[in-house]
Amino acid sequence: MTKSRREFPVVAVFLVGGAALFAFSRLHHALAPFLLAAAFAYVLNPLVNRFEARGLRRTQLVVMGYLAAAALGLGAYAGLKSLIVSETELFQTRAPAYLSQLQKTVYAQQKELVKRLPLPPQEAEQALQSALGGAIAVLQNIPSHLLSLLPFLAHLLLVPFIGFFFLLDGPGGVERGIQLCPSRYVEQALHLLSEVDTVLGNYLRGLVIVVTVIFVVSFFGLVALGIDNALFIAAIAGVSSVVPYFGLAMGVLVGGAMAAYQFGTFLAAMQVAALFIGIRIVEETLIQPIIARHSLHMHAMTNLFALIVGGATFGFLGLVFAVPAAGILKALVSVTWSWYASERGLALGPADGAAVPYT
Amino acid sequence: MSALKSIKRWFIDPQFARKKEFLRSLDIFKELHDRDLGCLVSALHSRTYREGEVVFVEGDIGRALFVLESGSVKLTRPSDGPRPEILYELRPGDFFGEMALLESLPRTATATATEKCHLHLLYKSKLDTLLHSEPRIGVTIMRHLARLLSARLRRMNAEPKLSAAAND
Repeated sequence: MTKSRREFPVVAVFLVGGAALFAFSRLHHALAPFLLAAAFAYVLNPLVNRFEARGLRRTQLVVMGYLAAAALGLGAYAGLKSLIVSETELFQTRAPAYLSQLQKTVYAQQKELVKRLPLPPQEAEQALQSALGGAIAVLQNIPSHLLSLLPFLAHLLLVPFIGFFFLLDGPGGVERGIQLCPSRYVEQALHLLSEVDTVLGNYLRGLVIVVTVIFVVSFFGLVALGIDNALFIAAIAGVSSVVPYFGLAMGVLVGGAMAAYQFGTFLAAMQVAALFIGIRIVEETLIQPIIARHSLHMHAMTNLFALIVGGATFGFLGLVFAVPAAGILKALVSVTWSWYASERGLALGPADGAAVPYT
Repeated sequence: MSALKSIKRWFIDPQFARKKEFLRSLDIFKELHDRDLGCLVSALHSRTYREGEVVFVEGDIGRALFVLESGSVKLTRPSDGPRPEILYELRPGDFFGEMALLESLPRTATATATEKCHLHLLYKSKLDTLLHSEPRIGVTIMRHLARLLSARLRRMNAEPKLSAAAND
C-alpha cells in the first residue's frame, strides 16, 4: 500500500503534465500572451526578489519598477526619436521595393534553373516545383509571413500589462500550489519545482543576455558597414535569437538582402553575412562560457529536434518555447529517476570514512 | 519626522519583517546579518498543516528542513505496542528534518501535526544555491548543523557508557 502511494506523484505529475500539454495544444493561441507574460515576469522576478529581500513591499517595488522602466523608455525614445523615425520612414519607403526585388530574384533564379536543367521546359519546371516547391513557396510568401507576425506586435503592450500582475503575485502562486499539494508530497513537489525553476531560470536569463548582445553588437556592426535600416535589422536579428539559430539566419537573410539592394553588389551581402557569422562565433566563444551556467546542457541535436517538433505543433510560440520545454521534460525525467533511485536504495551510500569511530 | 516614518511604513513589508524577526530568534540563524535573513526569508516556503496532517513519513526521502513557527508537531516511530512511540514533541521555534540538508536519505521518524501549525520549509537545493550565492548564510547553517551532529554523536557515544555504569 505504502509502496504504491509513494509511486503516485510520478504518475500524477506525468498525467497532469500530459493533460496540460493537451489543453495547451487546443488553446495555445489564446494562451500565447499569458505564456509570454509569465516568461517576462519570470525573467524580472529575481530583480524584484533582490529588493524584496531588503524588506520592501512587493506591490510598491513593482509599481515603482514599472514607472522607472516607463521613464527610461520615454527617455530612450526621446534620445533615439530621430533615428527611430528616420529608420521607420526609410523602411516604409523601401519595404515594397525590397519585397518585390526579393520576389523578382527568386523568380529569376527559378527561371535560370529551369533553363539549366537538361529537360524540356515544362517537365523541368515540374521537377523543380516538386523538388524545391516548398522552399520557393516559402520565399515567395515572405511578405505574408511577415504580416502574420503582426498580431505578435500587439503582445508588446499586452505582455508587460499581464506580466505586471504576475510580478505582483510573485511567489504567491507557488505557495498556494504547495498549500494545495497533499502534505506528504510537499517535499517531492518542491524538488520538481526546484528543478524546473533551475532549467527555466537559466534558459530565460541566458536568452535575455544573448538577445541583448546580438542586438547591440549587430547594430553597431551594421552602422560601421554603412547599411541602411541598421536598427531594424539589428532588432530583427536580436528578437529572432529567442529561437535558437534563427537570429543568425534572419540577420544574414534580411541584412544581406537589404545590403545587396542598397549597394547593388553581392559583396555587400557577403560582408553582412560575415558580420553575423562573426557575431555568432564571438557569442559562442566569449559570451556562452560566461553564461555557461545558463545553458540547459542539452545536445545540439536534441535542441534541433525540439525546435522542429515545437514549430510543427505550435508554430511561432512552439519555436520560442521548444527548447525550455525540452529542458523541463529533461528535469521531469531526472526528478523521476531521482525518486526511483532513492526509493530503491540506488542513491549514494554513506560518505567514505563513516566506519572510523567518533573521536 | 512623522512623514519619514509614514513613507518608511508604506515601503516596509510588515509580514516580511515579522518572518525575519522570527528567524532571528532561532539558534540556527541567530548569527546571520539583517540582509542575510532577508535572503533566507525569500528562500523559504511556507505551509499550514491541519491537526493530524502528516508532514512526512518514516522511510520517505528527506529533502527539506522544517521550522515550526506556530502549533506543535510530534515525531513518532512504530513500536511493539498498538500506538507509535512518541520520540519528541516539537514546539514553536524548533526545527526538524535538518539532516535532509546534508544528504537525501530516508526519514528516520514520522512527523505529524498535533494541532494546526505553520511550518517554514528550507529546501535542499535552495540551500545549495545560497551556499554559492551567499556563502555566509550557507556556512552559518552548515556550521550549526555540524555542531548539532557532533553533539548528537557525543550523546550517543556517552549513552551506552552511562547505561553500562548504571547496570554495574
